[in-house]
Amino acid sequence: MKKIIILLSTILLCACSPDTWNLDMIGLVSGSSAGIDERIEDSFRYNDEHGMPIIHANSEEYKVYVATDTHVDRTRTNWKQFINDYRADANCPLALHLGDLINAQNHWDYMFEPVSTLPTNPMKKDTLLVVAGNHDLYFNQWKEYLRLFKTSTYYAIVRTPSGKQDLYIFVDTGEGILGSKQTDWLKRTLTWADSQAFRHITVCTHTHLFKRDSSQGHTSNMPLEETYALLHLLKQHKVEMFWCGHDHSREITNLGSLTSIIVDALFDREPHPAYMIATCGDEPIRYQFINLPSNGN
Amino acid sequence: MNKRLLLICMLVVGMLPAVAQVQYGSNQYAVRMNIGYNHNTTYGSHAGFDFGAFMPINEHFEMQADIRVATTLTHSVGVQLRPKFAVPVGEFYIEDRLLSRVLARDGYCELVQALAVGYRMDYVSFQLGMSTRLILSVPYDWHDGSNIITEPFNVTYRLEVFVRPQTSPWNISLCASNMTDYQIERIWQPIFMANGRYNIDSHWQVNLSALCKPTGMFHLNAKYYGAEVRAGFAYAF
Repeated sequence: MKKIIILLSTILLCACSPDTWNLDMIGLVSGSSAGIDERIEDSFRYNDEHGMPIIHANSEEYKVYVATDTHVDRTRTNWKQFINDYRADANCPLALHLGDLINAQNHWDYMFEPVSTLPTNPMKKDTLLVVAGNHDLYFNQWKEYLRLFKTSTYYAIVRTPSGKQDLYIFVDTGEGILGSKQTDWLKRTLTWADSQAFRHITVCTHTHLFKRDSSQGHTSNMPLEETYALLHLLKQHKVEMFWCGHDHSREITNLGSLTSIIVDALFDREPHPAYMIATCGDEPIRYQFINLPSNGN
Repeated sequence: MNKRLLLICMLVVGMLPAVAQVQYGSNQYAVRMNIGYNHNTTYGSHAGFDFGAFMPINEHFEMQADIRVATTLTHSVGVQLRPKFAVPVGEFYIEDRLLSRVLARDGYCELVQALAVGYRMDYVSFQLGMSTRLILSVPYDWHDGSNIITEPFNVTYRLEVFVRPQTSPWNISLCASNMTDYQIERIWQPIFMANGRYNIDSHWQVNLSALCKPTGMFHLNAKYYGAEVRAGFAYAF
């Protein structure tokens, strides 16, 4: 009996590692943050008051820096490196974060501090646009996300000096679905985009659509019905790019004219952290990945 | 008007002689029909109608075939081949499934092959396997390789617990799985089911089942995604 108690105690103590406490296990049964339809209302309220961002690029061909899954907790080395890199690039008007900014609660201000303090290139303006991931919703943190980033369902237009426009649409898939209200909004937005002659249309979100490479294991994604309905919408409106994260390992999938990219995680303790630089010009969008060192264990 | 029509259709079809949950241990050929009401946040409310046949070819081999049509224009057809081997308690089996789902409304078709091993006895049934999925854009352009996506490896599982022995004239079960007769989901998308059957006599059986499909469970942010209630009859020959 003593042996059993010692064994059980050991297992329990092992389970009490700091990383275990970072997981909102109650979320297995019921997520603690507001559901998608309520979050959409919060996002739309901000959008209605402030409008959608319009960003001016300095040239016809510009770069977009894309990071995801930084999972900032006790370190933020790669996150700071990413911010330094995009701010130093004179041809980058726009940087994106595709969700999971933090790992768990109590790290929002630590994560946000470099965004508000690190210097940018004096020759340009840049904007950081963000969408919420599932870790950003743990422990009822949607309110914290809203405090800093205000909205998670919106679009942004990048306008070049000659007046060409590119559209970036951000959708919240923090619980693996778009929900009916957000789907309706996405349909309306894409229908409107059809009449606007955008040069490129890119949809950015957190949760991935597919997982073709099983070598790194699988992560949860959307129910299949939701996957197919979203794919149909993207195909119907000739969306060029679908950028996402969540899975932590890079995967590029071409389906007809759509390219879906799972961007690597930028988490410090990831074995191969990386971010993406997309080059947007008159040709189809090109992309490259910048590897950063793994920092910590 | 459409809703009333739908309700009438559901009642009429629900009264058709129909048929059944697979009853482990049964050596009777059977056919079944069910009508179901479904809701999910992607498609909203919709109805589904399914027809199936259970064929115990001999004591070591059984087959099952299923067809489902839905008002969402998402239809599926599947076949299950099940070699089985009796062990001192219960039965060990291998299940090979081929499922095709046509999502006409979305312009996609998926083909899923699943191979699993399982064990079933009076009160518990357990199954573990793997699946391969092909996703095809429809209409498929054979000259364009980018119209197809392969998810080569995923895990399938099923755990079902019964309250009564299989030979009982009635039974209720609770089940957690990432597949039903009409869909095979990815590993992190479980589906929870409650099934009940009542054998009216040696031929007729009535079935009732409910299904709940949450989303985001393994995002650790679980919310409601979809549900289904199905009712129908089975006839064993």
